[in-house]
Amino acid sequence: MAALAPTSRMRCMYIFNRNGVCLHYHVWMRPHTTLSQQQDQKLMFGLLFSLKSFTAKMDPVGGNKGNLGMPSLPGQGCSFHSFRTNTYKLSFMESPSGIKLILVTDPRMGDLREALRFIYNNIYVEYVVKNPLYTLGQPFKCELFNSTLDQYVKTLQ
Amino acid sequence: MIGVGRAKQNLNVVDRPLGKGKAEVSLSAFAFLFSELVQYNQGKVENISDLEHRLEEAGYAVGIRMLELLCHREKANRRETRVLGILSFVHSTVWKSLFGKVADSLEKGTEHEDEYMISEKELIVNRFVSVPQGMGGFNCGTFVAGIVKGVLDGAGFPARVTAHFVAVEGQARPRTTILIKFAEEVVQRDARLG
Amino acid sequence: MRASLRPSDPAVSPAIERVNAELFTLTYGAIVRQLLTDYEEIEEVNKQLDTMGYNIGARLIDDFLAKANITKCTDFRETADVIAKVGFKMFLNVTATVANWSADSMECSLILEDNPLVDFVELPETCQGLSYCNILCGVLRGALEMVSMRTEVKFVKDMLRGDDVFEIRMKLLEQMPEEYPYKNDE
Repeated sequence: MAALAPTSRMRCMYIFNRNGVCLHYHVWMRPHTTLSQQQDQKLMFGLLFSLKSFTAKMDPVGGNKGNLGMPSLPGQGCSFHSFRTNTYKLSFMESPSGIKLILVTDPRMGDLREALRFIYNNIYVEYVVKNPLYTLGQPFKCELFNSTLDQYVKTLQ
Repeated sequence: MIGVGRAKQNLNVVDRPLGKGKAEVSLSAFAFLFSELVQYNQGKVENISDLEHRLEEAGYAVGIRMLELLCHREKANRRETRVLGILSFVHSTVWKSLFGKVADSLEKGTEHEDEYMISEKELIVNRFVSVPQGMGGFNCGTFVAGIVKGVLDGAGFPARVTAHFVAVEGQARPRTTILIKFAEEVVQRDARLG
Repeated sequence: MRASLRPSDPAVSPAIERVNAELFTLTYGAIVRQLLTDYEEIEEVNKQLDTMGYNIGARLIDDFLAKANITKCTDFRETADVIAKVGFKMFLNVTATVANWSADSMECSLILEDNPLVDFVELPETCQGLSYCNILCGVLRGALEMVSMRTEVKFVKDMLRGDDVFEIRMKLLEQMPEEYPYKNDE
């Protein structure tokens, strides 16, 4: 677990690739876990996959809806970027290459769209994708990624 | 315009004027090419020392050609004869053309007379690297060590060249030191020259 | 894709750093030389260069999307345009032109008059079948596959073999939707 101030609003982060492989799971504060890590990650991926499909299907203005549960192209149709419950907020971004970043935070957290973009652009791409010792598609443990990410999330309110 | 460009390109490679070496590509393009060089070679070897050997070999091929280019361009084919001369050539001229800056430092080894160290706080090939557990002291700088070896060898200064991480006080990231150990004959020749 | 190309925000999009092209060119030369030693058949070398390019493309796409700030990428025609005008410029510092579209918009060519991979290169007699720049085909194929476009990419003109330009032919085979990756009973 990374050292953050006890008042930090960060809970955890997931990164999935387009094949549903959880490339990275990062915990800052998560006192409650009931599932095995593998089940937890699979469930998270499934939640996003379904939500994406549902939100596009219910779109009252967009034309391209596809069929519920049918495969869609990344970036096709509308897409959601966050939802909030009384205990947490989930923020989501997906790149056209199907990389999915999920930040789970305290429900009072503000808009994290730019933060997710920053993490993808400046931390994931720089310190994971460009690491010559990282084999693409594999879960990663990169110390430069971790340290830069921990530094960065401290700046998020 | 297009016609002129084509005429230039169609000239035989040896008849084309040698560029000034100022053209650039993105750091990313190099980083991805280098990553694939490492990944490809990782698939070809059984252990870390073989990987290092192959990366050094690739670097060597770059070094020997870089020397040719630089001699032609910068030095009007004048040859270095002294150890310190060639070391400063590597530390400044070679570094500047390859990495856009002079190396951070050039030092003489404290324990052995025939050893020298060129150090760089953030070597371009280590810029994005996190060494995974299980790869021990592997250093992508081995490729740069190979470049240095190629330059030195091509100039008549055979040496053993290796790359090492060296922890720096107050810094989270280690620097990379390229350790140069000249061959016996080089040391003797230099001594004779006074 | 063009519609969602927003002007880059420097706070979000990292600046593009550059390195000496000779380091790049000579490193590529060293790679080709290694392959020529590792494989006996020139055709194998061509294939390997394509594979290595594919691996590079699969990585490079995220860097490209990040730096060009592209959030959607679904139309092949627009994608080809962005590759030529933004992609080649960003990575190799040269521009390509898109030409020779097929009537069904499934095939086009990228034309290059300048290519940093081939500075200092002349194919020796023994390597006449070598497609020296084949890595570029792989890069395009790998990058496009990551944005769901399965393609066939090959050189049809090569200046190292005496043509007046480099021409890369790209053919869109299919757009692959993203499928739910797990089986229900897993």
